[in-house]
Amino acid sequence: MKDRHLPHDWFAAPIPANVEFGERCWIYSSYAFLHFRSRQKVGLRMGHDVGVYIGGMFEVGPEGTVEVGDFTALVGPTINTNGTVKIGNYVFIAHEVVIADHFAAVPADAGMPGRPAGSIAVGDNTWIGARAILLSGARIGEGAIVGAGAVVDFEVEPFTVVAGNPAKVVRRLR
Amino acid sequence: MNGAAKITNDWDYSTLPATVRLGRDCFLEREGSFDRYRSERTPGLILGDRVRLYGFTDLNVEPDGMLSIGDDSIVVGAIFMCAQKITIGERVVISYNVTIADSDFHPTNPAARKLDAIANSPYGDKSLRPYIETSPVEIGDGVWVGIGAIILKGVTIGAGARIGAGAVITHDVPQGAYYAGNPARAVKDDRA
Repeated sequence: MKDRHLPHDWFAAPIPANVEFGERCWIYSSYAFLHFRSRQKVGLRMGHDVGVYIGGMFEVGPEGTVEVGDFTALVGPTINTNGTVKIGNYVFIAHEVVIADHFAAVPADAGMPGRPAGSIAVGDNTWIGARAILLSGARIGEGAIVGAGAVVDFEVEPFTVVAGNPAKVVRRLR
Repeated sequence: MNGAAKITNDWDYSTLPATVRLGRDCFLEREGSFDRYRSERTPGLILGDRVRLYGFTDLNVEPDGMLSIGDDSIVVGAIFMCAQKITIGERVVISYNVTIADSDFHPTNPAARKLDAIANSPYGDKSLRPYIETSPVEIGDGVWVGIGAIILKGVTIGAGARIGAGAVITHDVPQGAYYAGNPARAVKDDRA
């Protein structure tokens, strides 16, 4: 396959060949893939109408895969996994959010062998507030909201609001 | 090529200031990590062998500051704010979005804060800034500092300790302990 470049890009690297995205996606730069090392057939799959805005980083290890649904906005999060991260449709992820397998995650190249691969799921129509941290085991139910700066490594029920470190349920939306 | 070399480790380390002591086989991804390095001490910055600095790591060392990072340590975008002394041991892992500071960089007394604001204004006289307290930070060998943690002045973290994601550390952490939360507390469940 011919190298793919973003028409507006300032960074010279091509989009990695194992990254797939649908119609009407916007990615700020191929810089997002500076530490992308997935060797999976599809290391990142994004649906249609997804925005990846400035500062977003896909730091995916050799075994890692990331899936993103449709109409989702990634406003600058870092996603670091050597396992699976699954993000649904109509999701909003704010600035400086980190989604990572490990509480002291490092890029795949830095080599911290022996760390287990994680599994994180962010359901449809959720909001993840600025600087929140989602760690392995985080499963954010449909319609839930994770407050700014919250740290979550557990299952959040659908349509609840969690906040704080450690995060607690602070409201139910229905 | 529009400066991309400066952010992909493909730049000339020999351009670093003479007061930077660099070990063997370091990986320094962004040249910009040194933009706010302005120590006048010799050395003002020591990076041990095989130190790896990724992403937006910021080595903000003031004229009187001295920062050292031991062999085989990994830093993934931390902001170091060093007015006096910050010492990081060997094999330390500092994850994303961490801040480590050895001063509040402004006075805490309200009257002094006002004077500081005036002295620090764009056309102020910075020589009139009031006294600002500093207190060294020391992080022991093999410590892991979690994503988004904040470590403030005067803190010593014992060897092998674990600092959880988002923890705010204002007091010493004993060797091998796991501290998490805000305010940070000792946690038994060690997921490290």
